[in-house]
Amino acid sequence: METHAVANAPLERKGRLAAFWRKHFWGLLFLLPAFIIFILFLWVPIIKGFVYSFYHIDFVKGNSFVGFDNYKVALHDGDAWTAVKNTVYYMFLCLVIGFWIPIVFAIAISELRRFQGIVRVAAYLPNIIPVVVLYGLWRWFYDPVGPINGVITGWFGSEPVAFMTDTNWSMISLVIMESWQQFGSAMLIYLAAVLSIPRDWYEAAEIDGAGVWNRIRHITLPSIKGLLGLLLILQLIGTSQGYQSQLAMLDGGPNNATLTYALLIVKYAFNQQNYGVAAALGVLMFLVLGLLAIIQYRLQGKEGDVR
Amino acid sequence: MKPLDRGILSSFDLKKKPILIGYTIMVLVLVVMSCSMLYPILTTLFNGLKTNVEVNSFPPRFLPSEWHFDNFNKGWNFIDLPEFLRNTLYIFGGNLVITVVVLGLASFSLSKLNVPKRRAVYFFFMMTLFIPPTTYIIPNFVNLKDLGLMNSFAAFWLPAGANAFFLLLLKNFFDEIHYEIFEAARIDGASDYRSFVQIALPLSVPIFSTLAIFIFSSSWNDWFWPSLIMHNDSHYPLATAIYKYVINARGLALNIRFAILTMVMLPPIVVFLIFQKYIMRGLHLGGVKG
Repeated sequence: METHAVANAPLERKGRLAAFWRKHFWGLLFLLPAFIIFILFLWVPIIKGFVYSFYHIDFVKGNSFVGFDNYKVALHDGDAWTAVKNTVYYMFLCLVIGFWIPIVFAIAISELRRFQGIVRVAAYLPNIIPVVVLYGLWRWFYDPVGPINGVITGWFGSEPVAFMTDTNWSMISLVIMESWQQFGSAMLIYLAAVLSIPRDWYEAAEIDGAGVWNRIRHITLPSIKGLLGLLLILQLIGTSQGYQSQLAMLDGGPNNATLTYALLIVKYAFNQQNYGVAAALGVLMFLVLGLLAIIQYRLQGKEGDVR
Repeated sequence: MKPLDRGILSSFDLKKKPILIGYTIMVLVLVVMSCSMLYPILTTLFNGLKTNVEVNSFPPRFLPSEWHFDNFNKGWNFIDLPEFLRNTLYIFGGNLVITVVVLGLASFSLSKLNVPKRRAVYFFFMMTLFIPPTTYIIPNFVNLKDLGLMNSFAAFWLPAGANAFFLLLLKNFFDEIHYEIFEAARIDGASDYRSFVQIALPLSVPIFSTLAIFIFSSSWNDWFWPSLIMHNDSHYPLATAIYKYVINARGLALNIRFAILTMVMLPPIVVFLIFQKYIMRGLHLGGVKG
Protein backbone atom coordinates (compact mmCIF):
# COMPACT_ATOMS: atom_id res chain seq x y z
CA MET A 1 0.00 0.00 0.00
CA GLU A 2 2.61 2.44 1.21
CA THR A 3 5.10 1.71 -1.58
CA HIS A 4 2.34 1.91 -4.14
CA ALA A 5 1.48 5.47 -3.09
CA VAL A 6 5.11 6.52 -3.25
CA ALA A 7 5.53 5.06 -6.69
CA ASN A 8 2.51 6.98 -7.95
CA ALA A 9 3.41 10.28 -6.33
CA PRO A 10 4.99 12.01 -9.34
CA LEU A 11 2.11 10.98 -11.55
CA GLU A 12 -0.41 12.18 -9.02
CA ARG A 13 1.40 15.49 -8.63
CA LYS A 14 1.36 15.89 -12.39
CA GLY A 15 -2.36 15.23 -12.41
CA ARG A 16 -2.96 17.71 -9.65
CA LEU A 17 -0.87 20.31 -11.47
CA ALA A 18 -2.88 19.77 -14.63
CA ALA A 19 -6.10 20.10 -12.66
CA PHE A 20 -4.77 23.27 -11.04
CA TRP A 21 -3.99 24.77 -14.43
CA ARG A 22 -7.28 23.68 -15.90
CA LYS A 23 -9.12 25.36 -13.06
CA HIS A 24 -7.07 28.53 -12.76
CA PHE A 25 -5.65 29.06 -16.24
CA TRP A 26 -7.99 31.83 -17.40
CA GLY A 27 -8.11 33.51 -14.00
CA LEU A 28 -4.33 33.77 -13.88
CA LEU A 29 -3.95 34.68 -17.54
CA PHE A 30 -6.37 37.60 -17.09
CA LEU A 31 -4.38 38.79 -14.09
CA LEU A 32 -1.02 38.52 -15.81
CA PRO A 33 -0.92 41.93 -17.57
CA ALA A 34 -1.99 43.73 -14.39
CA PHE A 35 0.64 41.80 -12.44
CA ILE A 36 3.38 42.84 -14.83
CA ILE A 37 2.31 46.48 -14.96
CA PHE A 38 1.84 46.83 -11.21
CA ILE A 39 5.26 45.35 -10.56
CA LEU A 40 7.01 47.33 -13.27
CA PHE A 41 5.44 50.73 -12.60
CA LEU A 42 4.46 50.65 -8.93
CA TRP A 43 6.29 48.07 -6.90
CA VAL A 44 9.67 48.51 -8.56
CA PRO A 45 9.67 52.32 -8.05
CA ILE A 46 8.47 51.92 -4.47
CA ILE A 47 11.24 49.46 -3.63
CA LYS A 48 13.80 51.36 -5.67
CA GLY A 49 12.96 54.41 -3.57
CA PHE A 50 14.31 52.63 -0.50
CA VAL A 51 17.34 51.36 -2.38
CA TYR A 52 18.17 54.69 -4.02
CA SER A 53 18.05 56.47 -0.67
CA PHE A 54 21.36 54.71 0.13
CA TYR A 55 22.98 55.50 -3.20
CA HIS A 56 24.39 58.43 -5.05
CA ILE A 57 22.56 58.40 -8.37
CA ASP A 58 24.56 59.33 -11.43
CA PHE A 59 23.09 58.62 -14.85
CA VAL A 60 26.47 58.86 -16.55
CA LYS A 61 29.01 57.25 -14.21
CA GLY A 62 26.68 54.81 -12.49
CA ASN A 63 25.35 54.61 -8.95
CA SER A 64 27.57 54.31 -5.89
CA PHE A 65 26.66 53.20 -2.38
CA VAL A 66 26.92 55.98 0.21
CA GLY A 67 25.25 54.49 3.28
CA PHE A 68 23.26 56.96 5.35
CA ASP A 69 24.88 60.04 3.78
CA ASN A 70 21.71 61.03 1.92
CA TYR A 71 19.72 60.97 5.15
CA LYS A 72 22.39 63.05 6.88
CA VAL A 73 22.27 65.63 4.10
CA ALA A 74 18.49 65.71 4.25
CA LEU A 75 18.30 66.10 8.03
CA HIS A 76 21.00 68.75 8.18
CA ASP A 77 19.47 70.84 5.44
CA GLY A 78 17.83 73.91 6.98
CA ASP A 79 15.42 74.01 4.05
CA ALA A 80 14.05 70.60 5.03
CA TRP A 81 12.85 71.93 8.38
CA THR A 82 11.41 75.04 6.74
CA ALA A 83 9.64 72.72 4.32
CA VAL A 84 8.19 70.59 7.13
CA LYS A 85 6.96 73.73 8.88
CA ASN A 86 5.45 75.09 5.66
CA THR A 87 3.74 71.79 4.92
CA VAL A 88 2.16 71.65 8.37
CA TYR A 89 1.10 75.28 7.97
CA TYR A 90 -0.35 74.49 4.55
CA MET A 91 -2.28 71.49 5.91
CA PHE A 92 -3.55 73.62 8.77
CA LEU A 93 -4.71 76.40 6.44
CA CYS A 94 -6.43 73.91 4.17
CA LEU A 95 -8.35 72.63 7.19
CA VAL A 96 -9.26 76.07 8.49
CA ILE A 97 -10.16 77.58 5.14
CA GLY A 98 -11.07 74.62 2.99
CA PHE A 99 -12.51 71.82 5.07
CA TRP A 100 -15.75 73.25 6.48
CA ILE A 101 -16.90 75.15 3.37
CA PRO A 102 -18.15 72.09 1.43
CA ILE A 103 -20.08 70.84 4.47
CA VAL A 104 -21.87 74.15 5.01
CA PHE A 105 -22.69 74.51 1.33
CA ALA A 106 -23.86 70.91 1.03
CA ILE A 107 -26.35 71.43 3.85
CA ALA A 108 -27.44 74.79 2.43
CA ILE A 109 -27.87 73.46 -1.10
CA SER A 110 -29.83 70.46 0.16
CA GLU A 111 -32.35 72.97 1.55
CA LEU A 112 -32.94 74.64 -1.81
CA ARG A 113 -36.33 73.71 -3.23
CA ARG A 114 -35.67 75.01 -6.74
CA PHE A 115 -32.61 75.55 -8.92
CA GLN A 116 -30.68 72.98 -6.90
CA GLY A 117 -29.25 71.48 -10.08
CA ILE A 118 -27.95 74.81 -11.37
CA VAL A 119 -26.22 75.72 -8.11
CA ARG A 120 -24.69 72.26 -7.98
CA VAL A 121 -23.30 72.60 -11.50
CA ALA A 122 -21.99 76.09 -10.75
CA ALA A 123 -20.19 74.83 -7.65
CA TYR A 124 -18.59 72.02 -9.62
CA LEU A 125 -17.59 74.20 -12.57
CA PRO A 126 -14.10 75.21 -11.31
CA ASN A 127 -13.21 71.50 -11.19
CA ILE A 128 -13.75 71.36 -14.94
CA ILE A 129 -11.34 74.17 -15.81
CA PRO A 130 -7.80 72.92 -16.44
CA VAL A 131 -5.55 73.92 -13.54
CA VAL A 132 -3.03 75.65 -15.79
CA VAL A 133 -5.75 78.06 -16.86
CA LEU A 134 -6.48 78.75 -13.21
CA TYR A 135 -2.83 79.48 -12.54
CA GLY A 136 -2.84 82.09 -15.27
CA LEU A 137 -6.13 83.50 -14.08
CA TRP A 138 -5.27 83.75 -10.41
CA ARG A 139 -1.89 85.27 -11.08
CA TRP A 140 -3.79 88.12 -12.63
CA PHE A 141 -6.36 88.19 -9.80
CA TYR A 142 -3.63 88.45 -7.18
CA ASP A 143 -1.65 90.99 -9.16
CA PRO A 144 -0.92 94.24 -7.28
CA VAL A 145 -3.08 95.94 -9.92
CA GLY A 146 -5.54 93.07 -10.32
CA PRO A 147 -9.28 93.07 -9.62
CA ILE A 148 -9.08 91.99 -5.96
CA ASN A 149 -6.79 94.88 -5.14
CA GLY A 150 -9.09 97.02 -7.26
CA VAL A 151 -11.89 96.24 -4.82
CA ILE A 152 -9.70 96.65 -1.74
CA THR A 153 -8.34 100.03 -2.72
CA GLY A 154 -11.41 101.26 -4.58
CA TRP A 155 -14.21 100.28 -2.20
CA PHE A 156 -12.48 100.17 1.15
CA GLY A 157 -9.77 102.68 0.43
CA SER A 158 -7.04 100.65 2.14
CA GLU A 159 -3.54 99.84 0.97
CA PRO A 160 -3.18 97.22 -1.79
CA VAL A 161 -2.11 93.77 -0.59
CA ALA A 162 0.80 91.97 -2.25
CA PHE A 163 -0.94 88.58 -2.23
CA MET A 164 1.87 86.74 -3.96
CA THR A 165 5.05 88.46 -2.82
CA ASP A 166 4.22 89.15 0.84
CA THR A 167 5.50 86.13 2.80
CA ASN A 168 2.60 86.40 5.25
CA TRP A 169 0.06 86.24 2.45
CA SER A 170 1.54 83.95 -0.19
CA MET A 171 0.52 80.59 1.36
CA ILE A 172 -2.91 81.90 2.35
CA SER A 173 -3.48 83.13 -1.19
CA LEU A 174 -2.64 79.71 -2.60
CA VAL A 175 -4.96 77.95 -0.17
CA ILE A 176 -7.82 80.30 -1.03
CA MET A 177 -7.26 79.59 -4.73
CA GLU A 178 -7.23 75.83 -4.17
CA SER A 179 -10.24 75.87 -1.89
CA TRP A 180 -12.17 77.80 -4.49
CA GLN A 181 -11.24 75.32 -7.15
CA GLN A 182 -11.73 72.09 -5.27
CA PHE A 183 -14.62 72.59 -2.90
CA GLY A 184 -17.19 71.43 -5.48
CA SER A 185 -16.18 67.78 -5.55
CA ALA A 186 -16.20 67.38 -1.76
CA MET A 187 -19.48 69.29 -1.68
CA LEU A 188 -21.09 66.78 -4.07
CA ILE A 189 -20.05 63.87 -1.88
CA TYR A 190 -21.48 65.52 1.24
CA LEU A 191 -24.61 66.57 -0.63
CA ALA A 192 -25.36 62.99 -1.65
CA ALA A 193 -25.00 61.91 1.98
CA VAL A 194 -27.14 64.76 3.32
CA LEU A 195 -29.88 64.09 0.78
CA SER A 196 -29.98 60.40 1.68
CA ILE A 197 -30.95 61.13 5.30
CA PRO A 198 -34.59 60.06 5.74
CA ARG A 199 -36.87 63.10 5.80
CA ASP A 200 -39.14 61.74 8.51
CA TRP A 201 -36.33 61.95 11.06
CA TYR A 202 -36.54 65.71 10.75
CA GLU A 203 -40.32 65.50 10.94
CA ALA A 204 -40.10 63.53 14.16
CA ALA A 205 -37.53 65.92 15.61
CA GLU A 206 -39.65 68.92 14.73
CA ILE A 207 -42.72 67.41 16.40
CA ASP A 208 -40.56 66.85 19.47
CA GLY A 209 -39.78 70.56 19.45
CA ALA A 210 -36.20 70.57 18.11
CA GLY A 211 -35.17 73.87 16.53
CA VAL A 212 -33.38 74.16 13.21
CA TRP A 213 -29.90 74.26 14.72
CA ASN A 214 -30.66 71.25 16.92
CA ARG A 215 -31.93 69.32 13.92
CA ILE A 216 -28.68 69.98 12.07
CA ARG A 217 -26.57 69.21 15.11
CA HIS A 218 -28.31 66.04 16.25
CA ILE A 219 -29.49 64.55 12.95
CA THR A 220 -27.58 65.90 9.93
CA LEU A 221 -24.07 66.03 11.35
CA PRO A 222 -24.14 62.64 13.12
CA SER A 223 -25.49 61.06 9.92
CA ILE A 224 -22.47 62.18 7.91
CA LYS A 225 -19.95 61.68 10.72
CA GLY A 226 -18.21 58.72 9.11
CA LEU A 227 -17.87 60.59 5.83
CA LEU A 228 -16.50 63.64 7.66
CA GLY A 229 -13.75 61.57 9.23
CA LEU A 230 -12.87 59.87 5.99
CA LEU A 231 -12.70 63.06 3.94
CA LEU A 232 -10.68 64.70 6.71
CA ILE A 233 -8.04 61.98 6.51
CA LEU A 234 -8.08 62.01 2.71
CA GLN A 235 -7.60 65.78 2.78
CA LEU A 236 -4.69 65.48 5.22
CA ILE A 237 -3.04 62.84 3.04
CA GLY A 238 -3.64 64.93 -0.06
CA THR A 239 -2.45 68.27 1.32
CA SER A 240 0.62 66.77 2.96
CA GLN A 241 1.79 65.91 -0.56
CA GLY A 242 0.81 69.22 -2.15
CA TYR A 243 3.38 70.95 -4.32
CA GLN A 244 1.92 71.66 -7.75
CA SER A 245 0.27 75.01 -7.11
CA GLN A 246 3.23 76.14 -4.99
CA LEU A 247 5.55 75.21 -7.83
CA ALA A 248 3.42 76.70 -10.59
CA MET A 249 2.47 79.95 -8.91
CA LEU A 250 5.56 80.89 -6.91
CA ASP A 251 8.21 78.19 -7.31
CA GLY A 252 8.46 77.90 -3.53
CA GLY A 253 9.17 81.58 -3.00
CA PRO A 254 9.06 84.30 -1.79
CA ASN A 255 11.97 83.50 0.49
CA ASN A 256 10.92 79.82 0.74
CA ALA A 257 7.57 80.79 2.26
CA THR A 258 5.69 78.31 0.07
CA LEU A 259 8.36 75.61 -0.11
CA THR A 260 6.47 72.48 0.90
CA TYR A 261 8.09 69.16 1.66
CA ALA A 262 7.02 67.53 -1.61
CA LEU A 263 8.27 70.56 -3.51
CA LEU A 264 11.63 70.19 -1.78
CA ILE A 265 11.81 66.59 -3.01
CA VAL A 266 11.07 67.73 -6.55
CA LYS A 267 13.64 70.52 -6.31
CA TYR A 268 16.35 68.23 -4.99
CA ALA A 269 15.76 65.88 -7.87
CA PHE A 270 15.22 68.16 -10.83
CA ASN A 271 17.03 71.38 -9.91
CA GLN A 272 20.05 69.88 -8.17
CA GLN A 273 20.01 66.46 -9.89
CA ASN A 274 20.47 64.95 -6.43
CA TYR A 275 18.16 61.96 -6.80
CA GLY A 276 19.60 60.11 -3.80
CA VAL A 277 18.70 62.79 -1.27
CA ALA A 278 15.31 63.20 -2.94
CA ALA A 279 14.69 59.46 -2.52
CA ALA A 280 15.74 59.65 1.13
CA LEU A 281 13.32 62.54 1.72
CA GLY A 282 10.63 60.41 0.08
CA VAL A 283 11.32 57.50 2.43
CA LEU A 284 11.12 59.79 5.48
CA MET A 285 7.80 61.10 4.21
CA PHE A 286 6.56 57.58 3.62
CA LEU A 287 7.22 56.64 7.24
CA VAL A 288 5.10 59.54 8.49
CA LEU A 289 2.29 59.21 5.96
CA GLY A 290 2.06 55.45 6.37
CA LEU A 291 0.59 56.14 9.78
CA LEU A 292 -2.14 58.37 8.30
CA ALA A 293 -2.90 55.76 5.65
CA ILE A 294 -3.48 53.10 8.30
CA ILE A 295 -5.95 55.37 10.09
CA GLN A 296 -7.73 55.95 6.79
CA TYR A 297 -7.92 52.21 6.22
CA ARG A 298 -9.52 51.70 9.60
CA LEU A 299 -12.09 54.44 8.94
CA GLN A 300 -12.82 53.10 5.50
CA GLY A 301 -13.45 49.64 6.92
CA LYS A 302 -16.11 51.12 9.18
CA GLU A 303 -17.61 53.25 6.45
CA GLY A 304 -17.59 50.49 3.84
CA ASP A 305 -20.51 51.85 1.85
CA VAL A 306 -18.73 55.07 0.94
CA ARG A 307 -16.57 53.53 -1.70
CA MET B 1 -45.93 56.31 0.98
CA LYS B 2 -44.92 59.49 -0.76
CA PRO B 3 -41.64 60.90 0.60
CA LEU B 4 -42.19 63.94 2.77
CA ASP B 5 -41.79 67.17 0.89
CA ARG B 6 -39.36 68.80 3.29
CA GLY B 7 -35.70 69.07 4.17
CA ILE B 8 -34.28 70.07 7.50
CA LEU B 9 -36.83 72.90 7.34
CA SER B 10 -40.53 72.22 6.91
CA SER B 11 -42.96 74.50 5.15
CA PHE B 12 -44.26 75.38 8.61
CA ASP B 13 -40.81 76.66 9.65
CA LEU B 14 -40.66 78.98 6.68
CA LYS B 15 -43.69 80.85 7.97
CA LYS B 16 -41.74 81.94 11.08
CA LYS B 17 -40.06 85.26 10.60
CA PRO B 18 -36.51 84.64 11.99
CA ILE B 19 -36.20 81.40 10.08
CA LEU B 20 -37.47 83.01 6.89
CA ILE B 21 -34.87 85.76 7.22
CA GLY B 22 -32.15 83.18 7.83
CA TYR B 23 -33.31 81.20 4.81
CA THR B 24 -33.24 84.29 2.61
CA ILE B 25 -29.70 85.10 3.73
CA MET B 26 -28.70 81.52 2.96
CA VAL B 27 -30.15 81.75 -0.54
CA LEU B 28 -28.33 85.04 -1.08
CA VAL B 29 -25.06 83.44 0.02
CA LEU B 30 -25.64 80.63 -2.45
CA VAL B 31 -26.30 83.13 -5.21
CA VAL B 32 -23.07 84.97 -4.36
CA MET B 33 -21.23 81.64 -4.32
CA SER B 34 -22.57 80.70 -7.75
CA CYS B 35 -21.55 84.10 -9.10
CA SER B 36 -18.06 83.80 -7.64
CA MET B 37 -17.76 80.49 -9.48
CA LEU B 38 -18.90 82.01 -12.77
CA TYR B 39 -17.08 85.34 -12.43
CA PRO B 40 -13.53 84.07 -13.10
CA ILE B 41 -14.71 82.14 -16.14
CA LEU B 42 -16.44 85.17 -17.61
CA THR B 43 -13.49 87.41 -16.71
CA THR B 44 -11.16 85.17 -18.68
CA LEU B 45 -13.47 85.32 -21.67
CA PHE B 46 -13.97 89.10 -21.54
CA ASN B 47 -10.31 89.87 -20.89
CA GLY B 48 -9.57 87.89 -24.01
CA LEU B 49 -11.74 90.34 -25.93
CA LYS B 50 -10.31 93.60 -24.56
CA THR B 51 -7.44 95.68 -25.85
CA ASN B 52 -4.20 95.10 -24.00
CA VAL B 53 -4.30 98.62 -22.56
CA GLU B 54 -7.71 97.98 -21.09
CA VAL B 55 -6.71 94.66 -19.46
CA ASN B 56 -3.83 96.43 -17.76
CA SER B 57 -5.86 99.44 -16.64
CA PHE B 58 -6.56 99.85 -12.94
CA PRO B 59 -9.11 99.36 -11.47
CA PRO B 60 -10.14 96.62 -13.94
CA ARG B 61 -13.48 96.70 -15.70
CA PHE B 62 -15.61 93.60 -16.14
CA LEU B 63 -16.99 94.13 -19.65
CA PRO B 64 -14.78 95.20 -22.54
CA SER B 65 -15.48 98.65 -23.95
CA GLU B 66 -14.57 97.48 -27.46
CA TRP B 67 -14.84 93.89 -28.60
CA HIS B 68 -11.67 92.57 -30.22
CA PHE B 69 -12.39 89.16 -31.63
CA ASP B 70 -9.12 89.11 -33.56
CA ASN B 71 -7.31 88.43 -30.24
CA PHE B 72 -8.44 84.84 -30.63
CA ASN B 73 -6.95 84.78 -34.08
CA LYS B 74 -3.63 86.04 -32.77
CA GLY B 75 -3.72 83.53 -29.92
CA TRP B 76 -4.43 80.72 -32.35
CA ASN B 77 -1.38 81.71 -34.36
CA PHE B 78 0.82 82.16 -31.28
CA ILE B 79 1.01 78.48 -30.37
CA ASP B 80 0.13 75.36 -32.26
CA LEU B 81 -2.94 74.38 -30.24
CA PRO B 82 -4.12 71.53 -32.52
CA GLU B 83 -0.80 69.72 -32.20
CA PHE B 84 -0.81 69.92 -28.40
CA LEU B 85 -4.45 68.95 -28.33
CA ARG B 86 -3.63 65.90 -30.43
CA ASN B 87 -0.93 64.90 -27.91
CA THR B 88 -3.38 65.25 -25.03
CA LEU B 89 -5.91 63.12 -26.86
CA TYR B 90 -3.22 60.51 -27.60
CA ILE B 91 -2.47 60.28 -23.90
CA PHE B 92 -6.15 60.16 -22.99
CA GLY B 93 -7.00 57.50 -25.58
CA GLY B 94 -4.05 55.27 -24.76
CA ASN B 95 -4.66 55.54 -21.03
CA LEU B 96 -8.30 54.61 -21.50
CA VAL B 97 -7.50 51.57 -23.67
CA ILE B 98 -4.88 50.27 -21.25
CA THR B 99 -7.21 50.81 -18.30
CA VAL B 100 -10.03 48.92 -19.99
CA VAL B 101 -7.83 46.03 -21.11
CA VAL B 102 -5.48 45.58 -18.16
CA LEU B 103 -7.68 46.57 -15.23
CA GLY B 104 -10.87 45.26 -16.85
CA LEU B 105 -9.36 41.80 -17.29
CA ALA B 106 -7.80 41.78 -13.82
CA SER B 107 -10.91 42.93 -11.98
CA PHE B 108 -13.10 40.51 -13.91
CA SER B 109 -10.74 37.70 -12.99
CA LEU B 110 -10.65 38.73 -9.32
CA SER B 111 -14.40 39.03 -9.19
CA LYS B 112 -15.68 36.11 -11.27
CA LEU B 113 -12.95 33.59 -12.11
CA ASN B 114 -11.04 31.01 -10.10
CA VAL B 115 -7.93 32.64 -8.69
CA PRO B 116 -5.72 30.78 -6.23
CA LYS B 117 -5.01 32.74 -3.02
CA ARG B 118 -7.47 35.41 -4.08
CA ARG B 119 -7.11 37.46 -0.89
CA ALA B 120 -3.33 37.62 -1.16
CA VAL B 121 -3.52 38.61 -4.82
CA TYR B 122 -6.07 41.30 -4.04
CA PHE B 123 -3.87 42.56 -1.23
CA PHE B 124 -0.92 42.75 -3.62
CA PHE B 125 -2.85 45.24 -5.74
CA MET B 126 -4.58 47.18 -2.97
CA MET B 127 -1.46 47.72 -0.86
CA THR B 128 -0.31 50.28 -3.41
CA LEU B 129 -3.23 52.52 -2.46
CA PHE B 130 -1.68 53.16 0.93
CA ILE B 131 1.66 54.34 -0.36
CA PRO B 132 1.46 58.07 -1.11
CA PRO B 133 2.54 58.72 -4.73
CA THR B 134 4.73 61.70 -3.87
CA THR B 135 7.02 59.50 -1.81
CA TYR B 136 8.07 57.53 -4.89
CA ILE B 137 7.79 60.23 -7.55
CA ILE B 138 11.59 60.40 -7.94
CA PRO B 139 12.29 56.64 -8.17
CA ASN B 140 9.33 56.47 -10.54
CA PHE B 141 11.03 59.00 -12.80
CA VAL B 142 14.37 57.20 -12.61
CA ASN B 143 12.60 53.91 -13.26
CA LEU B 144 10.98 55.24 -16.44
CA LYS B 145 14.37 56.51 -17.50
CA ASP B 146 15.92 53.08 -16.87
CA LEU B 147 13.18 51.47 -18.93
CA GLY B 148 14.02 53.81 -21.80
CA LEU B 149 10.56 55.34 -21.92
CA MET B 150 11.62 58.99 -21.80
CA ASN B 151 9.90 61.20 -24.37
CA SER B 152 7.46 58.50 -25.42
CA PHE B 153 3.73 58.19 -25.00
CA ALA B 154 4.21 54.69 -23.60
CA ALA B 155 5.54 56.34 -20.43
CA PHE B 156 1.93 57.45 -19.82
CA TRP B 157 0.00 54.58 -21.34
CA LEU B 158 1.64 51.67 -19.53
CA PRO B 159 1.64 53.13 -15.98
CA ALA B 160 -2.05 54.02 -16.50
CA GLY B 161 -2.73 50.31 -15.94
CA ALA B 162 -1.19 50.51 -12.47
CA ASN B 163 -4.09 52.18 -10.73
CA ALA B 164 -5.42 50.34 -7.68
CA PHE B 165 -8.25 52.80 -7.15
CA PHE B 166 -9.71 52.10 -10.61
CA LEU B 167 -9.21 48.39 -10.03
CA LEU B 168 -11.21 48.68 -6.83
CA LEU B 169 -14.06 50.52 -8.57
CA LEU B 170 -14.15 47.97 -11.38
CA LYS B 171 -14.08 45.00 -9.06
CA ASN B 172 -16.91 46.43 -6.96
CA PHE B 173 -18.88 46.90 -10.16
CA PHE B 174 -18.30 43.35 -11.38
CA ASP B 175 -19.15 41.99 -7.93
CA GLU B 176 -22.67 43.29 -8.40
CA ILE B 177 -23.25 41.42 -11.65
CA HIS B 178 -24.86 38.06 -10.92
CA TYR B 179 -22.98 34.82 -11.43
CA GLU B 180 -25.99 33.32 -13.21
CA ILE B 181 -25.32 35.31 -16.37
CA PHE B 182 -21.83 33.87 -16.68
CA GLU B 183 -22.97 30.39 -15.72
CA ALA B 184 -25.57 30.50 -18.47
CA ALA B 185 -22.89 31.62 -20.92
CA ARG B 186 -20.61 28.79 -19.83
CA ILE B 187 -23.36 26.22 -20.31
CA ASP B 188 -23.86 27.59 -23.81
CA GLY B 189 -20.18 26.89 -24.39
CA ALA B 190 -18.63 30.34 -24.03
CA SER B 191 -15.02 30.47 -22.88
CA ASP B 192 -13.98 32.81 -20.06
CA TYR B 193 -12.50 35.14 -22.63
CA ARG B 194 -15.76 35.26 -24.51
CA SER B 195 -17.80 35.91 -21.36
CA PHE B 196 -15.53 38.86 -20.68
CA VAL B 197 -15.67 40.39 -24.15
CA GLN B 198 -19.30 39.69 -24.97
CA ILE B 199 -20.98 39.93 -21.57
CA ALA B 200 -18.88 41.69 -18.93
CA LEU B 201 -17.57 44.52 -21.13
CA PRO B 202 -20.93 45.62 -22.57
CA LEU B 203 -22.46 45.50 -19.09
CA SER B 204 -19.76 47.69 -17.62
CA VAL B 205 -20.11 50.68 -19.94
CA PRO B 206 -21.35 52.91 -17.07
CA ILE B 207 -18.30 52.25 -14.88
CA PHE B 208 -15.92 52.66 -17.79
CA SER B 209 -17.49 55.99 -18.67
CA THR B 210 -16.94 57.09 -15.09
CA LEU B 211 -13.31 56.07 -15.38
CA ALA B 212 -13.16 57.88 -18.71
CA ILE B 213 -14.20 61.10 -16.96
CA PHE B 214 -11.46 60.68 -14.36
CA ILE B 215 -8.86 59.83 -16.99
CA PHE B 216 -9.94 62.72 -19.18
CA SER B 217 -9.66 65.22 -16.36
CA SER B 218 -6.25 63.94 -15.32
CA SER B 219 -4.83 63.94 -18.84
CA TRP B 220 -6.33 67.37 -19.51
CA ASN B 221 -4.98 68.77 -16.22
CA ASP B 222 -1.63 67.16 -15.68
CA TRP B 223 1.16 69.54 -16.65
CA PHE B 224 4.07 68.83 -14.33
CA TRP B 225 4.71 65.14 -14.91
CA PRO B 226 4.57 65.44 -18.73
CA SER B 227 7.00 68.35 -18.54
CA LEU B 228 9.51 65.97 -16.92
CA ILE B 229 8.95 63.01 -19.22
CA MET B 230 8.49 64.74 -22.57
CA HIS B 231 11.23 66.78 -24.15
CA ASN B 232 9.88 68.45 -27.26
CA ASP B 233 6.90 70.19 -28.75
CA SER B 234 5.75 67.23 -30.76
CA HIS B 235 5.12 65.36 -27.49
CA TYR B 236 3.93 68.01 -25.00
CA PRO B 237 0.27 67.72 -24.02
CA LEU B 238 -1.84 70.85 -23.98
CA ALA B 239 -1.53 71.60 -20.25
CA THR B 240 2.27 71.45 -20.29
CA ALA B 241 2.47 73.56 -23.42
CA ILE B 242 0.16 76.21 -21.96
CA TYR B 243 2.20 76.31 -18.77
CA LYS B 244 5.51 76.58 -20.57
CA TYR B 245 4.59 78.90 -23.43
CA VAL B 246 1.66 80.93 -22.15
CA ILE B 247 1.62 81.15 -18.35
CA ASN B 248 5.39 81.56 -18.07
CA ALA B 249 5.82 83.52 -21.28
CA ARG B 250 7.39 86.93 -21.02
CA GLY B 251 6.38 89.59 -23.46
CA LEU B 252 3.07 87.95 -24.36
CA ALA B 253 0.30 90.57 -24.19
CA LEU B 254 -2.20 89.86 -21.42
CA ASN B 255 -5.24 90.00 -23.66
CA ILE B 256 -3.78 87.43 -26.06
CA ARG B 257 -2.87 85.29 -23.07
CA PHE B 258 -6.45 85.38 -21.84
CA ALA B 259 -7.73 84.60 -25.32
CA ILE B 260 -5.59 81.45 -25.40
CA LEU B 261 -6.69 80.47 -21.90
CA THR B 262 -10.32 80.87 -22.98
CA MET B 263 -9.79 78.59 -25.94
CA VAL B 264 -8.28 75.94 -23.65
CA MET B 265 -10.96 76.36 -21.02
CA LEU B 266 -14.08 76.27 -23.17
CA PRO B 267 -14.02 72.73 -24.65
CA PRO B 268 -14.11 70.90 -21.29
CA ILE B 269 -16.79 73.28 -19.99
CA VAL B 270 -18.95 72.69 -23.06
CA VAL B 271 -18.48 68.92 -22.80
CA PHE B 272 -19.34 69.09 -19.12
CA LEU B 273 -22.50 71.13 -19.65
CA ILE B 274 -23.73 68.80 -22.38
CA PHE B 275 -23.11 65.57 -20.47
CA GLN B 276 -23.67 67.19 -17.07
CA LYS B 277 -26.38 64.73 -16.00
CA TYR B 278 -24.30 61.64 -16.80
CA ILE B 279 -21.12 63.08 -15.38
CA MET B 280 -22.76 63.95 -12.07
CA ARG B 281 -24.20 60.44 -11.89
CA GLY B 282 -20.82 58.98 -12.83
CA LEU B 283 -19.06 60.97 -10.13
CA HIS B 284 -21.52 59.59 -7.64
CA LEU B 285 -20.83 56.08 -8.91
CA GLY B 286 -17.13 56.73 -8.45
CA GLY B 287 -17.72 57.67 -4.84
CA VAL B 288 -14.86 59.15 -2.89
CA LYS B 289 -11.81 59.96 -4.94
CA GLY B 290 -8.75 60.71 -2.87
